[in-house]
Amino acid sequence: MQLPVSAIAVSAAIGVLVVAGAYTAGRLGHASSAWADSAYWLGQVLILVPAAARLLSRRVLTAGETMTLVIVLTVAEYLVMICYSPAAFSYVDELQHWRSTMNVLQTGRLFSVNYLLPISPRYPGLEEVTSALASVSGLSVFTSGLIIAAVAHLLFVCVLYLLFREVSGSYRIAGVAVLCYASNSHFDSFDSMFIYQTLALPFLALTLLAAWRLASGRIAGQRARWLALAVLTIAATVVTHHVTSYVLPVALLVITVAALLTGNRRAAAWPAVLALMSSAAAAGWLVFAAPQTWSYLQPFADLTVQSIRALLAGGHSSAPPTSGGPPGDQLLGAAAVLIVSALLPVGWWQVWRRYRGQPWTVAMAILSASWYVLVAVRLTVTDGSELAGRAATFTFIPAAYIVALAIGHLAGIAVRWQARAVAAAVLVVLLMLMFDGLANGWPPYWERLPGAYQVAGSERSVEPEVIDGARWTLAALGPGNQFAADFGSYPVLGSYGDQNPLRNVAYLYTSPVYSQSDTLRAQAQALRFVWVDSRLSKSLPAYGQYFPVDPRAGKYTHPLPAADLDKFNHVPGVGRIYDSGNIVIYELPGT
Amino acid sequence: MSRSQADLGLTATVAVLACAAAAVSAPVAVTAVLGILILAAPGYLLGELLFGAAIEGLERVAVAAGLALCVPILGGLILYAAGVQLHRATWLGLLAGLTLACDLVLLWRRRSGRAASFGWAPRRLPRRHAMAFGAAVAIAVCAVGIARAGVVWQHYPGFTQLWLVRSQGNAASVNLGVANHEGKTARYRLVLLRNFRPAGSWNLTLANGQTWHRSPSSSGRRISVKLYKLPELAHSYRYVAIDGSGAQ
Repeated sequence: MQLPVSAIAVSAAIGVLVVAGAYTAGRLGHASSAWADSAYWLGQVLILVPAAARLLSRRVLTAGETMTLVIVLTVAEYLVMICYSPAAFSYVDELQHWRSTMNVLQTGRLFSVNYLLPISPRYPGLEEVTSALASVSGLSVFTSGLIIAAVAHLLFVCVLYLLFREVSGSYRIAGVAVLCYASNSHFDSFDSMFIYQTLALPFLALTLLAAWRLASGRIAGQRARWLALAVLTIAATVVTHHVTSYVLPVALLVITVAALLTGNRRAAAWPAVLALMSSAAAAGWLVFAAPQTWSYLQPFADLTVQSIRALLAGGHSSAPPTSGGPPGDQLLGAAAVLIVSALLPVGWWQVWRRYRGQPWTVAMAILSASWYVLVAVRLTVTDGSELAGRAATFTFIPAAYIVALAIGHLAGIAVRWQARAVAAAVLVVLLMLMFDGLANGWPPYWERLPGAYQVAGSERSVEPEVIDGARWTLAALGPGNQFAADFGSYPVLGSYGDQNPLRNVAYLYTSPVYSQSDTLRAQAQALRFVWVDSRLSKSLPAYGQYFPVDPRAGKYTHPLPAADLDKFNHVPGVGRIYDSGNIVIYELPGT
Repeated sequence: MSRSQADLGLTATVAVLACAAAAVSAPVAVTAVLGILILAAPGYLLGELLFGAAIEGLERVAVAAGLALCVPILGGLILYAAGVQLHRATWLGLLAGLTLACDLVLLWRRRSGRAASFGWAPRRLPRRHAMAFGAAVAIAVCAVGIARAGVVWQHYPGFTQLWLVRSQGNAASVNLGVANHEGKTARYRLVLLRNFRPAGSWNLTLANGQTWHRSPSSSGRRISVKLYKLPELAHSYRYVAIDGSGAQ
């Protein structure tokens, strides 16, 4: 007997409830207990397994049921994210945009300085929508932000489903493709958080949908309307997020090339026009409104190019050893890479057999090859996991579609051969991909459940003493002071405190004396204040590094000596201006 | 207004009510609902103007939602470029103004037969499915409630803030303050030292969340403050120190 979609919705809701219970257990002191962790995974099983099983079941779903399943799954995972921090933003990236939004609300101006993420005010789309909602509704920035991020995330998934359905001609393939896409490790975090990329993604998808409609030639009399929609969504993408605005013309260009390769000039024309428009808009914004974007993105690009060059030259890249984590998570991650790598050629074979005359499917096949580049980046480039994760948001769109074609083919074989084992294997493969996305996504395994303060953690470093300390800096010192701070306090100080925390400050905390060279270096950085959290001397950093830029990242075997943190008490001329027990703020002389 | 123009009537009403609610400072429960509706209204109307009945179902909803998000982004940018600051009145003016303008254009287009009238054909969901979806929503609400309760129940160690900073704009004094975040009322003794000699003391009783301020003179080479949490007087609980103005 097959579960109706409404029953799957109930199962997903119970799953969210179980996860919420696990999160609450974590907050009440059981964050490290095995049973709370098991409860989290039980909740995820209740959300994912019925939906995936129903989508791949032999009894065919209707279009409406497939769409409902996709929506149920997306909403359930979004609620899980809300339950992680249901009272205020705690994810570092969300805090950055919270600051930008507060600046718009308080000043009524765009492009105000954000010390934490200086590029964010140059792409004010998210802040504009959120401050508009907060202003007219009277809701807090947190609640308004959750509403906007939820709408954007759900809209992105729905338009992605529409695109997959149009291109494949099958709502079942579309449903499986969305499920595959949801297995990308950033789907439940960086693609749905209150950050600018979350809002830009639906605009990218809507532009692609408009391009599809324009190119399909079945909309006589409606071209101007779809073109108008495309113009608006291109503009919104460009104003909202830099990388998404660069991915858009690239995607449209590849579609154009695929259309030319398949001999379909008519299908090439409109994507080419939109590619030109989006390129011009992105270039114009880059030059006239956000010239800082290049210097923001350049370090990432340089690092990638250097590492790949080193690798191609036969040397070693500078990639650190693959990050740790429980062996089970690592195994699942490796299995997922192998599964996708193996399924893509099966999908390409399907493209060759059945879709080689279809420009959009051919374009997806071409773009899906970027998956292997992603794997190479992950394994070879310094900070490759971070880069690969961020890129997965985009590369997984075509890859998920091609993998879905492969899964659809294998599921078809299972139905034809009456092979239950094959059907079960296909389901297991899909579930492995989805659980890999959760196990190796964000929050990391050491903060999977919320809980007590962690030294140099991420979300669990955002706690009342740090927040109140940061708020005090804003009230007592004013905004924009150059601060030294540890990795965990850094985003709180920059957001709640509206201060300017510097990244390269490890030298101030890692020796027992404040030397003359330290003094000169601090003066060169125009540092005014040093934020010292004595808990740094009590445990190792959860993230592997105590400071935003830490030369000893991943090499610590003991916590920092207390003498390295207390030394400022004995330096003549250094003021000890704030003390809340764990946190002390020092004012450096000559400032 | 006829049923065929019900959507125009509804969106126009929302626009007027949202402005009225802002003018009379209505409670958040009211402005929240109207605020969400007024943000969505221009997207719906622009979708109707652009596509009308040419698209339907999920695509129609998606286009309307996308346009609703575009309006504050592009509209806000245009207004800001024109020198208008983006405060509540600006956003209300943009959203309500665009809503009413679209209402008028759409009304004219419908009356002249250039756009299809509003049609609403709700699908009937079987009762057991409706009940199941209702139960799912109720369970999800409970889940978020439990998560929020977890935040309230979570225990954090209490703390007390002590600070001593030079007054901005007044070199003759310093800002001295204490804030109690211990989770309960606490009693303190605060001792001010100039050049390491006692120069004043205060006994304080602060409720949780309460703050105490003073602006003593900045005279002396070194100003330091020790805060004791009573009844412990052997060791200071918090300590701050800065260089003074040097004057005695």
